[in-house]
Amino acid sequence: MSAVITGTGRRDDLLPSGSELRSGFPYWMDSLRSMLRYDWGGMRPWVGMMVVIQTMMGAGMVLMYGFFYPQITTTTALYIATGAPTLALIPLGFVMVPNAVMMDKLHGTFDYVWSMPVPRSAHAVSTFSLFTVLAVPGMVLALLVAIWRYGIHLSLSPVLIPAVLLCALMSVTVGYALALAVKNPLVTNVIVNALIFVVLLFSPIVYPASQLPGWLYDVHRVLPFESMATVMRAGLTTGLATDVGLSFLVLGVWAAAGCAVTAWVVGRRA
Amino acid sequence: MASSDAALILPPGGVERGIGRSGRDFVSMVRWHLASLRMWLVTIVIVQALSGVGFVLGISLFFHRIPQSAALFVTTGVPVINLLIVGLVLGPQLVANQRTAGSYEYLQTLPVSRSVTAAAWYTVCLLCGLPAVVVSLVVGQLRYDLPLHISLMIVPAVLLTSFAGTMLGYALAHAITRPMVTLLITQMLIFIVFGFAPILFPLQRMPAWLADVNWWFPFRHMAVVMRAALTSGPNPGVSTAYAVIGVWTVVAAALAGWMLGRRP
Repeated sequence: MSAVITGTGRRDDLLPSGSELRSGFPYWMDSLRSMLRYDWGGMRPWVGMMVVIQTMMGAGMVLMYGFFYPQITTTTALYIATGAPTLALIPLGFVMVPNAVMMDKLHGTFDYVWSMPVPRSAHAVSTFSLFTVLAVPGMVLALLVAIWRYGIHLSLSPVLIPAVLLCALMSVTVGYALALAVKNPLVTNVIVNALIFVVLLFSPIVYPASQLPGWLYDVHRVLPFESMATVMRAGLTTGLATDVGLSFLVLGVWAAAGCAVTAWVVGRRA
Repeated sequence: MASSDAALILPPGGVERGIGRSGRDFVSMVRWHLASLRMWLVTIVIVQALSGVGFVLGISLFFHRIPQSAALFVTTGVPVINLLIVGLVLGPQLVANQRTAGSYEYLQTLPVSRSVTAAAWYTVCLLCGLPAVVVSLVVGQLRYDLPLHISLMIVPAVLLTSFAGTMLGYALAHAITRPMVTLLITQMLIFIVFGFAPILFPLQRMPAWLADVNWWFPFRHMAVVMRAALTSGPNPGVSTAYAVIGVWTVVAAALAGWMLGRRP
């Protein structure tokens, strides 16, 4: 019996049709296209809900922060409104993306996807780009609600485009890497919940960083949240944001770190 | 032959009724709830205390110099949220978990009156909320040096606020059979309690229509009774507030009782 299997005549049948293994940039692009279609197919039923939740969270928090101030001056209103896109982005990047990754882990989706003859990097890049694009409508809608509520005037500058893209990419990659790198879903859940609470209360997104005590100010020089608000503010107003270059750098480093951790986890053979 | 079979099926000792039985059931149900929460219990208490303290301290970052009125509002509002979270938010989620795990039906079969089970759950919710209330108040007082003036009315205020929240959560948990819907509603409730009910800030800051909407819901009134018990000075509308919370409690308890008493 075994002679039949080891016999030379049977070897060719085991190779995939199309014979040779493919690689190279055109093949990678081809894989990316397939993975985009695959990811989009899985996400499509949730997209509407995700945009709605994101907008509600962003817009809701914008309205809510306003209630906490006895008087809303123009500066306060400007800070809250320009914080709106960041507030809408954080639930997506730091809650929905990690949750999606946790669900995929539980369902074994990663094992399935990684078994396909597609570079694993193509899958990661397709997920990153889809979530980054998905983040934009919620950010815009939250900002529109803020403008309507506080009646402020913004002066948009071209910086806004790289700012939005980098912020979205950074939060998606960091959220993805976090959920992928931490093995226990329960731990991820705890981190995510603690993060949201800390970010929404103790991060200078809707108020100037100068109001923080010294040590917290220093912590926020390293964490990405203040930088997100700063670059967004730089794109929406003139003169309100300082140290914009440094903030872009901080975000870039975080995004790169997110990508690196993802690459490490994805590339590792278990 | 037939009569001896019936004797075998009957529980030994016969059916016991009365206050002694209820008391023993109550103790065992409290123990049951505490045991089923086990290690969660400590986590819940710590998370509650941390979030309360976090809110009390974090609010000062929103201002250059925080006005004392804002600090007072937050410090006297946070206890309401501490009391609500376990009964109103965590309770329904626990029941939703029981439904998916199948222990919901098991609990229903226990030979314990439904009202005793509810009373035991209320006691547990109260126990989980109280430490956070104390810690938040102490930290608020130390940080902002507030003119707190705690009167005896704190007892009914705390008891009723916690009871109303627990009963609302109980009604939600037992009326809604789909766990996903429960999760969604409780998440919304957290959001509403923090930002769209005048608990942590004065009513006047809201648009008038939202303030009117809030009159019909219990959260605004819980903040009123709590604030009246924690500060001196005129507190208009305290009796109305007690009345509104009372009505909500009765309605929620009745709804929960009806849902539990129904035979499917």
